[in-house]
Amino acid sequence: MEPAEAKLIRAGKKIRGALDDGGSAAEELRAERNRLVETITMRNGRAIRGRGWSLLPGRGIFVGAGAAIAVGAAVLLWLQIPISFRIAGGALAGAGGVPGRTGDVVEADEGASTALQFSEGSSIVLDKGSRLRVLSTESNGARVLIESGRADIAIAHRGTRKARWRFEAGPVAIAVTGTKFRVDWNPKDLTFGLELREGSVIVSGDCLPGPRTVTGGGSLRLSCLPSGASRTVAAATPAPGEDEMEAEAVEGPARVAAPARRETKLAHVDGETWQALVAAGHYGDGLRAAERVGFARVCRTAAAVELLALADAARLSGRTARAVEALTVLRQRFPGSLHASTAAFALGRVAYERRGDYTEAARWFATYLDEQPSGPLMGDAVGRLMEARHRAGERAAARRDAERYLQRFPEGPYAGTARAIMFE
Amino acid sequence: MVTPLTFARGDDNLIDALRSGHPGAAAAFYDQHAAAIRRTLQSVLGADAEIPDLLQEVFIRAIDRIGELQQLEQVRSWLTTIAVFTARAHIRRQARRKWLFLFSPDQTRQNHRDPTSSDALLALRETYRILDKIPANERMTFVLRFVEGMTLPEAAQACGVSLATFKRRLSRAEKRFLREVRERPLLEQWLEEGTRWSLQKQS
Repeated sequence: MEPAEAKLIRAGKKIRGALDDGGSAAEELRAERNRLVETITMRNGRAIRGRGWSLLPGRGIFVGAGAAIAVGAAVLLWLQIPISFRIAGGALAGAGGVPGRTGDVVEADEGASTALQFSEGSSIVLDKGSRLRVLSTESNGARVLIESGRADIAIAHRGTRKARWRFEAGPVAIAVTGTKFRVDWNPKDLTFGLELREGSVIVSGDCLPGPRTVTGGGSLRLSCLPSGASRTVAAATPAPGEDEMEAEAVEGPARVAAPARRETKLAHVDGETWQALVAAGHYGDGLRAAERVGFARVCRTAAAVELLALADAARLSGRTARAVEALTVLRQRFPGSLHASTAAFALGRVAYERRGDYTEAARWFATYLDEQPSGPLMGDAVGRLMEARHRAGERAAARRDAERYLQRFPEGPYAGTARAIMFE
Repeated sequence: MVTPLTFARGDDNLIDALRSGHPGAAAAFYDQHAAAIRRTLQSVLGADAEIPDLLQEVFIRAIDRIGELQQLEQVRSWLTTIAVFTARAHIRRQARRKWLFLFSPDQTRQNHRDPTSSDALLALRETYRILDKIPANERMTFVLRFVEGMTLPEAAQACGVSLATFKRRLSRAEKRFLREVRERPLLEQWLEEGTRWSLQKQS
């Protein structure tokens, strides 16, 4: 290193040290946080109020044209507004319940069910002890994660507008158009159940070799244990050619249609490597391309960084088992590397977010911290370890993690959760 | 029972919630990144009284443009780039103000929080007086590389320029900074050794 650069790096550190203002910075950050939330709330309010146009008669053609444009704009704006929802039932019983917010965990008490009523008419009734999150909402649907338990769902038809609803339960995804059905997900033994009352849905995920359409009163039961463990599907009419799946039971007048293949997507896959497809963000196609080459072979030959990308692609396209396979091979082939530790962290995320296995998640986050006590994901790993242990019922350990987290990151993203755990 | 968003982690969920205009998501997003972004603004500008406003500006811009964020893993560097551009615009505004109103350097820095008499703060004031004399683009390279301690590729990405351009600007900034420091022996000594700046200044 050149002497001038070394001198400047030393000087820069001194300047940075002198700039640190400790407590006053934390205070300022808190004040600015409130200001930001107020600004965003006010802006959202203004955006909604802005939809109310007042039409004044007799102001001439320009006013008329302006009003027509304004009405058109208002209608367009209205069509783009995400749907909202309210939560009622159990402890939230009352006049219409409370407004729901995306991202919040909604949990039905052990004694009563909880209902989510959406502004466009759809509803979800969460069975007692069950838990879900509305991840996002759009103008014509929402994305809902059923974390555990049973939910009865009724999707409303809304004129000519096509409803866009997506439900996720562990590694299984359900695309819905307009229908009534019940979903049952047990993250402990990874069993998934679907009973369809009206309409049709498309079910996909790594428990299935391909997407399946379930129609008119059919039912589907899946066990999503990792490869190697027994994996079964219960359906009245298993689709022909669906290997490694066996009919186990029949429930009601079930009818499972042939898998809905995504042929249009496959066209542009030809000639491109899986790496290129994954890098371009075509995760599903990238994964399929890797499978055509031979997934096990890819795992044996790919570089560590490629395996991380492949695992991400698998995770993001709902193929949890493939993600786990890639990450496990990475750890076997590159032991002791930073990538292997990153794989441990990713395995923790998969266990937590996709499988709801909090004990397993905690084990992987702890592995990361053992291997990389000062690694780049250290703060996140401590925070997630704390949350996983808390959810797994290891309260004393979670409190120790919370204390450890707050000592290092008093203003960090998990600080609120850590304080809540410490004062429980 | 409804548990607030802060209990439901996951960057992808957070970004989805931000895109749907959830104020709770804005707060969680701020909690994750505000300390680091404030630190970057402070490194670039010194103890500037407008940092709280600029911090707001960075987050509001980011939330408005959240649809442009392609890769969740890049969220911190994406925010840093917004902070760098916001800070640079602020520096240029200050410079225009100085030129238009013919303020003296002391007057233009009246906006800065009044430093106390400690050695470090006196040294800081001198340091940022020097940085005020360096063109904004060059100042950015210097601050991100040496004060923020970024690697060359990280800093180049934050400035939105190629590595070669970044290195050229950095080289010019280094020369200017060292030349100015050499004319201030007490600052030079503090930067190198941390001696009693204020006592020596008095003697």
